[in-house]
Amino acid sequence: MKISYNWLKEFVDTPVDARTLGQRITHIGLALESCVDFGDDSVLDLDVGTNRPDCLSHLGVAREVGAIYGLVLKKPHFKLKEVPRKAAEAVSITIDDADLCGRYCGRYISGVRIGPSPEWLRKRLEAVGVRSINNVADITNYVMMELGHPMHAFDADKLQGRQIIVRRGGVDEKLTTLDGVERLLNPSILVIADAKSPIALAGIMGGADTEIGPSTTNVLLESAWFNPVSIRKTARTLGMTTEASYRFERGTDIEMAGFACDRAASMIQELAGGELLSGAIDVYPRKPTPVRITLRRERIAAVLGERVDDAIVNRIFQRLELQPAQTAQGWTVEAPTFRADLANEQDLLEEIARHHGLDNFPATMPASRGFGSLLPNERRVRQLRDTLSAAGYSEICTYSFSNEQVEKRFYPDIEPVRLRNPMSEEATILRTSLIPGLLTTLQWNLNRGIRNLQMYELSKVYWNGGERRTLILGGTGSLRLASVHESAREFDFFVLKGDIEELLHGFNIPIRLTTDNIPKYYHPGRFARVGHLAMFGELHPSYAEPFKFRQRVYIAEIDIELLLGASAGRQLEQIPRYPGVKRDFSLLFDKGTQYATVHRTISDAGISELVRVEPFDRMESGSFPETKYSLSISVVYQSAERTLTDVEVETFDKKIIKRLEERLGAQLRT
Amino acid sequence: MSSEWIGQLRSIEQQFDRERESVADLRSLEELKNRYLSRKSGLLTLQLQNVRNVPATERAEFGRVANEIKAKVEGLLETLQQKIAHAEADAVLERERLDVTLPGSRRRIGHRHPLTMARQEIEDIFTSLGYTVEDGPEVEKTYYNFEALNIPASHPARDAKDTFYIADDVVLRTHTSPVQVRTMEKMQPPVRIICPGRVYRRDAADATHTPMFHQFECLLVDEGITFSDLKGTLERFHKQFFGEKTETRLRPSHFQFTEPSAEVDVSCPFCNRKGCRVCKQSGWIEVMGSGVVNPRLYGFVNYDADRYTGFAFGGGIERYHALKNNINDIQLYYQNDMRFLEQF
Repeated sequence: MKISYNWLKEFVDTPVDARTLGQRITHIGLALESCVDFGDDSVLDLDVGTNRPDCLSHLGVAREVGAIYGLVLKKPHFKLKEVPRKAAEAVSITIDDADLCGRYCGRYISGVRIGPSPEWLRKRLEAVGVRSINNVADITNYVMMELGHPMHAFDADKLQGRQIIVRRGGVDEKLTTLDGVERLLNPSILVIADAKSPIALAGIMGGADTEIGPSTTNVLLESAWFNPVSIRKTARTLGMTTEASYRFERGTDIEMAGFACDRAASMIQELAGGELLSGAIDVYPRKPTPVRITLRRERIAAVLGERVDDAIVNRIFQRLELQPAQTAQGWTVEAPTFRADLANEQDLLEEIARHHGLDNFPATMPASRGFGSLLPNERRVRQLRDTLSAAGYSEICTYSFSNEQVEKRFYPDIEPVRLRNPMSEEATILRTSLIPGLLTTLQWNLNRGIRNLQMYELSKVYWNGGERRTLILGGTGSLRLASVHESAREFDFFVLKGDIEELLHGFNIPIRLTTDNIPKYYHPGRFARVGHLAMFGELHPSYAEPFKFRQRVYIAEIDIELLLGASAGRQLEQIPRYPGVKRDFSLLFDKGTQYATVHRTISDAGISELVRVEPFDRMESGSFPETKYSLSISVVYQSAERTLTDVEVETFDKKIIKRLEERLGAQLRT
Repeated sequence: MSSEWIGQLRSIEQQFDRERESVADLRSLEELKNRYLSRKSGLLTLQLQNVRNVPATERAEFGRVANEIKAKVEGLLETLQQKIAHAEADAVLERERLDVTLPGSRRRIGHRHPLTMARQEIEDIFTSLGYTVEDGPEVEKTYYNFEALNIPASHPARDAKDTFYIADDVVLRTHTSPVQVRTMEKMQPPVRIICPGRVYRRDAADATHTPMFHQFECLLVDEGITFSDLKGTLERFHKQFFGEKTETRLRPSHFQFTEPSAEVDVSCPFCNRKGCRVCKQSGWIEVMGSGVVNPRLYGFVNYDADRYTGFAFGGGIERYHALKNNINDIQLYYQNDMRFLEQF
């Protein structure tokens, strides 16, 4: 709300300059956004909360200023010169729907001369951001800015049947508003109509047909109270926001309607001439009952932290026109009609707090109630993040919104959460997996020349009926670049597999790999899963294609909640006291023999001293038949009780080799 | 008075002194040692074996000088031995000299996302103050997101212009406050919780807005809790998060679920209240909303409004992190450009 400092001074003798005032008023809840010079005036732009429509006017702001400095509020004074002819004889006013229109005041002025407004009026309006139109229209705007009450002026001669009817719009009724747009009406829209058709959108904008123009001589002034919810809905439906709707939808002062009407009438008489017909036509079906509120004195200290002197409380309440009556227990006040936000004791505590000054209350710490705690599992999640960081993965954070077509490619069977009012066609659902977000992020970085990437996201996915945290890993490009020190190492399937192993090891979960149930978006020959806990592998080329990846991309999906749930307690192992013996074998196997089979054949040999089996070299071709491949394996034997003898070791070796030969047709290379 | 015998000893001594000059490695040292001290053919050894040929009158003198020279030679050989050994060891080290100015061989270390770091820091501060972390659904019933927070059906805050709707009574939560209601439903005071999480508002993305962001909210309800406790808690938190010099200022404002309500400003961490571009010369930066819990909320969760009072406050995690790290575009958090992420 723009406030002219000079205008404000008509209502209150502010003792400080505009800027100082702006800073002070910020501390009672009207935040100063800017203060700019405007000729010999200054304009303060104040941020007025939705609960304080009374401050969308110079008078309302002046009241707050008066309460700050203990100054008397000077309300506008004016005189009305009425002619004997009665307004009620010139036009009749009917309210059809009192829920939507609680009061409608009309004043009739005949013989006005429409013309430009005087300089001072134009400047005032310009200062607060209102364009000058003509004297009568400007006066309605002036009174709105002064008193906070929106008004409208009709060319009374254009009213059919000399009638004003406040009613709901009819189905298929139309109205061309002042901005030249034809509006289709319906029964949810409140209109002002004459005997024949709608002539204005109630509380939002007048109609073009009854607009004040150069030839207008008779004016009907409207000053009404409209239901805030109804105005807001209509304004939203029609996509219109006007100074009037802005105030009506926040709530105007029903008691101000008459005063504002008189104020505008007097100004029209003064600036546009004409005769004011006697009497206001005041249809007032919903006169409000006064709201009385009691404040218990002890609640001040109990809620705000410190007691406040009765004298200060009295002064604040008086300046805010709350008509306080002090009692033994505290106060009883009557909330003025311009303060619909005041309804209970807490509301009064707020008035005391902001006017006494938030800075005047001490800062204390609440008494301790013992320890707090992180979310269950958060410590373990933090350990997991540390493991991922150490393995080189950086965390990303992507939007929960996603594109349905993209999501469907990966998880076609999940019924997604659909937004009714998405912001774009690209973001109509909540993501069903973290894959598209990860791939899009890889793409973003690759497009910027960053081609060696490892990242993870630990966040929620959503489906119709639920949401759940999950974890995704992605890697592509080089794990390590070639340098003067070492050769390059690509990020590949086994790097990812190693990271998964490390991760599961951190949770003490044994790894049982299978390659069944391969989702379509994985490379069918480069995929593995650990039950429902983890799936990982290379992204299928046809799924990589839409992202224009020119390098292989590896992803891992891990069910983090399952992982946290499955995590077993760790049983510490004894550190061996006797040395282990390491033995290496090179063997030929038939192509197609999986390592897992080799490993199992060795570890199931029944050698309790066998503590490690590790392949260290693999050759697909060499001085051996094409149908074979060569695998070098090292094994470690170790006893917890003694140092193993050569004879024992020899026996173990033979046992292993024999098993491999018999079961897998392996041949020992020499 | 030196005799021929003694003269011979001395000339061997001189010869040794000459020859040891040219010894530079352990092999020639060994040769030198053998030439003079070898048991069978060492020059000095032979001289000492000659002692019986020396006339008796000179024998004592000869023996004394011979032993003196032998001791000297042995000592010098020992010194030489050590010197050469050191020199050779040094030479080995010298051959191993690296160009230490070459870049180090670095392993890639990953980075936590800055929003995770900020969230963890905030959680740690509040758990140390006795708060317990709570979370709740992001797809939320309007009852928890609005009604129970004193935002009735007619309130503009529920507008589809600002809120993502899933169904008439289901939205993407617009704040983490529903968690407060859900927690209060579950338990009677004392309640002391912090709720961090994702929230959604229909704002077009720009430097200061994104349609999704992260919030943290705290709620404390207990006997005897006042607005002053809110002030003290916020001051303590901001000193902890931004540094001990940080000041906190409250300005009256309006929120449906708190009353009195206040916007919270902190002294600008960049200029220490002198005024700069970041704080638009004001010296203060708005960081969160706060207030005394509106007793109307207690009606929804069956708390005794005369017995219990409380406060609540909430801020954006992006905003807190951005302010602490002088980041002027919060969209950076969602682009996930590695060149950004690797700086944390």
